[in-house]
Amino acid sequence: MSALAELVDGGVRLAIPLLVASAGELVSERAGVLNMSVEGMMLTGAFAGAIGAHTTGSASAGLVCALVAGVLFAVLQAVLSVTLRADQIVTGVAANALALGATTYGSRLYFTEGRTIPGFDPIALPVLSDIPILGPALFELTAVGYLCVAVAVVLAVLFGGRTGFGLAVTAIGADAETADRSGLPVNAVRFCAVLLAGLTSALAGAHLVLADVHAFTDNISAGAGYLAVAAVIAGRWKAWPTLLACVFFGLAQALQFAAPAFGVHLPTAVLVMSPYLLALVAVSGLVGASRSPAGLTLPFVREARA
Amino acid sequence: MRRNLLVYGTAVLAALLVGAALAAGGGADPATAATALWDGMFGSSYAFGSALNAAAVLGLIATGFTVAHRAGLVNVGGEGQLAVGGIAATAVGVNLPDATPAPVALAALLLAGFAGGAAWAGIAAWLRVARGVNEVITTLLLNFVGTFLVVLVVHEEGLLRQPVTSADTLPQSAPLAEPARLPLLGLPESPATLAIVLAAVGVVVAALVLRRTATGARLSSVGMSEPASARLGLPVGRLQGGSLAVAGGMSGVAGATLVATVPYVLAEHFTSGYGFTGLVVGLLARGSLTAVAGTSLAFGLLASGGINLQLAAGVPASSVQVVQSVLIICVAGAVIFRKGATR
Amino acid sequence: MEPALELTGVGKTFGKARALDAVDLTVRAGEVHCVLGENGAGKSTLCNLVFGSAALDEGEMRLFGEPYRPRRPAEALALGVAMVHQHFSLVPTLTVAENLLLAERVRLRMPDLTGRVAAIEAEYGLRVDLTATVADLPVGERQSVEIVKCLLRDPRLVLLDEPTAVLGPAEVEALLATCRRIADAGRAVVLVTHKLGEIERAGDAATVLRGGRVAGSGPLADFTKDELVELMVGRHLADLDPLLVAGLDAESGDAAHAPASGGDEAAPVVRVRGLRVRGPHGADVLDGVDLDVRPGEIVGIAGVEGNGQSELVAVLSGALIPDGGVFELDGTDLTRAAPATRTAAGLGVIPEDRHHEGCVPGMTVAENLFLGRLGEFRRFGLLDRKAMRLRAAKVIEEHGIRATGPDAPLRTLSGGNQQKVVVARELALDPLRCLIAAQPTRGLDIGAVDAVLSRVRDAAAGGAAVLVVSSELPELLTLCDRVMVAYRGRLLGPVTPGLPGARDAIGRLMLGASA
Repeated sequence: MSALAELVDGGVRLAIPLLVASAGELVSERAGVLNMSVEGMMLTGAFAGAIGAHTTGSASAGLVCALVAGVLFAVLQAVLSVTLRADQIVTGVAANALALGATTYGSRLYFTEGRTIPGFDPIALPVLSDIPILGPALFELTAVGYLCVAVAVVLAVLFGGRTGFGLAVTAIGADAETADRSGLPVNAVRFCAVLLAGLTSALAGAHLVLADVHAFTDNISAGAGYLAVAAVIAGRWKAWPTLLACVFFGLAQALQFAAPAFGVHLPTAVLVMSPYLLALVAVSGLVGASRSPAGLTLPFVREARA
Repeated sequence: MRRNLLVYGTAVLAALLVGAALAAGGGADPATAATALWDGMFGSSYAFGSALNAAAVLGLIATGFTVAHRAGLVNVGGEGQLAVGGIAATAVGVNLPDATPAPVALAALLLAGFAGGAAWAGIAAWLRVARGVNEVITTLLLNFVGTFLVVLVVHEEGLLRQPVTSADTLPQSAPLAEPARLPLLGLPESPATLAIVLAAVGVVVAALVLRRTATGARLSSVGMSEPASARLGLPVGRLQGGSLAVAGGMSGVAGATLVATVPYVLAEHFTSGYGFTGLVVGLLARGSLTAVAGTSLAFGLLASGGINLQLAAGVPASSVQVVQSVLIICVAGAVIFRKGATR
Repeated sequence: MEPALELTGVGKTFGKARALDAVDLTVRAGEVHCVLGENGAGKSTLCNLVFGSAALDEGEMRLFGEPYRPRRPAEALALGVAMVHQHFSLVPTLTVAENLLLAERVRLRMPDLTGRVAAIEAEYGLRVDLTATVADLPVGERQSVEIVKCLLRDPRLVLLDEPTAVLGPAEVEALLATCRRIADAGRAVVLVTHKLGEIERAGDAATVLRGGRVAGSGPLADFTKDELVELMVGRHLADLDPLLVAGLDAESGDAAHAPASGGDEAAPVVRVRGLRVRGPHGADVLDGVDLDVRPGEIVGIAGVEGNGQSELVAVLSGALIPDGGVFELDGTDLTRAAPATRTAAGLGVIPEDRHHEGCVPGMTVAENLFLGRLGEFRRFGLLDRKAMRLRAAKVIEEHGIRATGPDAPLRTLSGGNQQKVVVARELALDPLRCLIAAQPTRGLDIGAVDAVLSRVRDAAAGGAAVLVVSSELPELLTLCDRVMVAYRGRLLGPVTPGLPGARDAIGRLMLGASA
């Protein structure tokens, strides 16, 4: 495989989980709820997916387990962020620690012998997969990989454009009080948006274990969830720029494997930190002005003012 | 007040229950687990000494967190600041001549740690003040970069890696020069170091500044209302940026104490989650430095006990992390029940 | 016919504060029912209960005879109750069409919307631009959008909460006419206001609230204006400062003017030339403002909100750096100076948004009084809280601030007393060369209005140049030596309040016509 093909292939593989997780997180943030816990949801999804697949021997069953676990985890976050109006950043970071601790603990107990699990196999789409470089990267995905891409694109179209759903979500995130006075169910929509973020993050986690490495290792998400959150910020809360940011972060991550093939010999640590550096530069607004939803992280309560 | 106690009581109870369940799930009966935990905390003067050392690191980080929090900033970058502070301190510590007087060497080491951590937090501070970028996301991303910086410097011989003599040479720094090592407090069989005194002084000085000086009042004002503070002529940017840099600096000092303690080297993972736990302590203390001191001690004991829990009772040490996060989630989630909380 | 809306014994408590107590109210279809009262009398709370934004604690409501107890606005809307909010319920970043679609819970399609809006425009004589972004619209047009949004649902009962507070005289006229038309179409209208002058033109019946209770109620024809004023404030008209009456009554302003002592000869303290601020969407929000204020002179700035007054205050106080022009105080260029430098030069500012910019509600009265000058209270490097407390106690007494003591958190004080703290802090500048007061009486009850305005007058009497920005025209007419009118980023005028026809002249300037 050529160096370029390897980079593209690795970049797509690493970008897919970011893509789908950030698509759900984008919807949630547009509705005004910031989930720092994407990382934890991803990890939970990965762990549940691995257990499910390992127990049943079926990757599909694993996928279902991952999604269920992700949504359950998201219920916790939604209750904290929306119902109890707790600090979204604090609870998100804590939820990540909970997920990391619990999955590490769980895997000690569960995977006593061997961590390899059944996974999905790549399905090559005829003709399309023959396109040089892009073909194998984009059209030889696993079933869960195609699912991730499809979900990301559907969400981007549904909520990114000016559809009815998108409009309602945008209004709720921009001005919850006005949305409420217009008759929109503010907290119900926000709650569901967090669940959606949990679902997509868990899907991303399932992709890590079932499509990518076919095994569970401690802290397998390794910060990818934070990159997904950073991608939403870097994408200025707009659908297509967010997805683009994910692709960039994915390519940056792939560099650590592909760099030697390009004859670039940088220390691995530099390459490993590069997506985070890139994310830092991107969120720092060095690439343009930023306009976050006005109600981001602000919980809504009627009667807030006497 | 009573409602506050109820919230904290419930949180601690929930955490204890979760902890007990995890211990049981790990195959240890409650009595064994409790004994192992107790031994890890108070069982020997070695255990207690290491708990105090851990508490010192947590106290320094949480004190910094509290200072920045007073100005309205949330510093989640303790881990990265710890890492960079450790790197800076190591760079100084390994290059000091052995003849340096110990006080000078230690001062240089701690200053380097402070400067390293402050500079690292300074990136986030600058972005916040000059460009309005939320400090939570920047300090968080800087954690990853800082952590990989440690990996980088201990793997590259041109940087801080000890001279590679064979294939077995570990990727870590050379040991710190003798005078740059933190002296023990001299308690019998206790590894307790000067870091404990350092942390205590840090907490007291910070408490004095926050409570009793004009700077403290100004930080409070900025934390409660940026626009009103600006209108009243307070240097909002300088106060916020400065407080975040100080927070980073204190984490950096904590990093310096870590490398200046046995085995006196900088190695991958030397931060071992202290940054996060320090953040937990800061969050739970909710702005009170008395609470920082108490909570640091409790969490230092818990960390030390957790290690023994894994060694003696076979319960995965990650259960301590679970217990900690349950604690924060309960306390943060109870915000609408707490009296005097702003709606 | 049964009443459209009937409230019996309605009560509502927020924390310890009793917002409404045993309120009865009957509104009939086809009538405009005015709810009158001072700030803090409970008018907005009443609206929020009916609209479902707040839940009532006791009593009952009936809507067209049916028991009615909305738990959220969505339920009120579904039952045909709509509300025009004082500060609008429009998402500023969305277009007008998108905001209107929201009102229809997104079921409506664009072509239907255009048709419906056209029908409403024709029926009520309103105009809205569907493609404009709300943030770009002037206040008057936003008001129209808000009303169209409200009527789109074909409501049976329309609540309007202080809809005229931010409008110019001509827009107020148009709005009152719209209210009349809405009622004539068979709907019930509740018009909440604290301005008496308006209700005669539009109202059929009135209910006066005072301190959360009904002070009086009945057909409007049964009351004289003076009786209504007395019901609102609970005192005899003869006991009141004419200035305060002027604030309530939109008609009698001209008579009450008391000229202050400004001499035309003295050199101006404040000199503003060619001030320019570009807005977020390219248009100039300040477009070449010139202004002089002499020592001892009180200059007022009137105008429909959103014509650049807020930006002018922001530039003068140092919160906003202008794109062009000069601001000098006593000949010193302060255009780009930091707020601290301005304070040192003797510039006091009472900001428009008290809670946001004026004070730190979480800190104590003493801290709020001296935050800008903590350096004066240093002892051995520490803060001398004892000295601060002593000084604060003196200020509290001098200014008649009602607080439990210097250590009381500011948020425990009433709005009026908070504003007194802000005023006391700014007047304590030595020397006080210029005082800028932006909407100094907004949201205050009558006693606090009195206290604040007399302090502002004292400042002028003490030789300071005073600039008052207010949307309360009567207040400006009685307080000021000159009134300028902000219109699209420029200052028009001046108008001298004492002269006959001053009020009409200002009204014309607010529309951009020449005086």
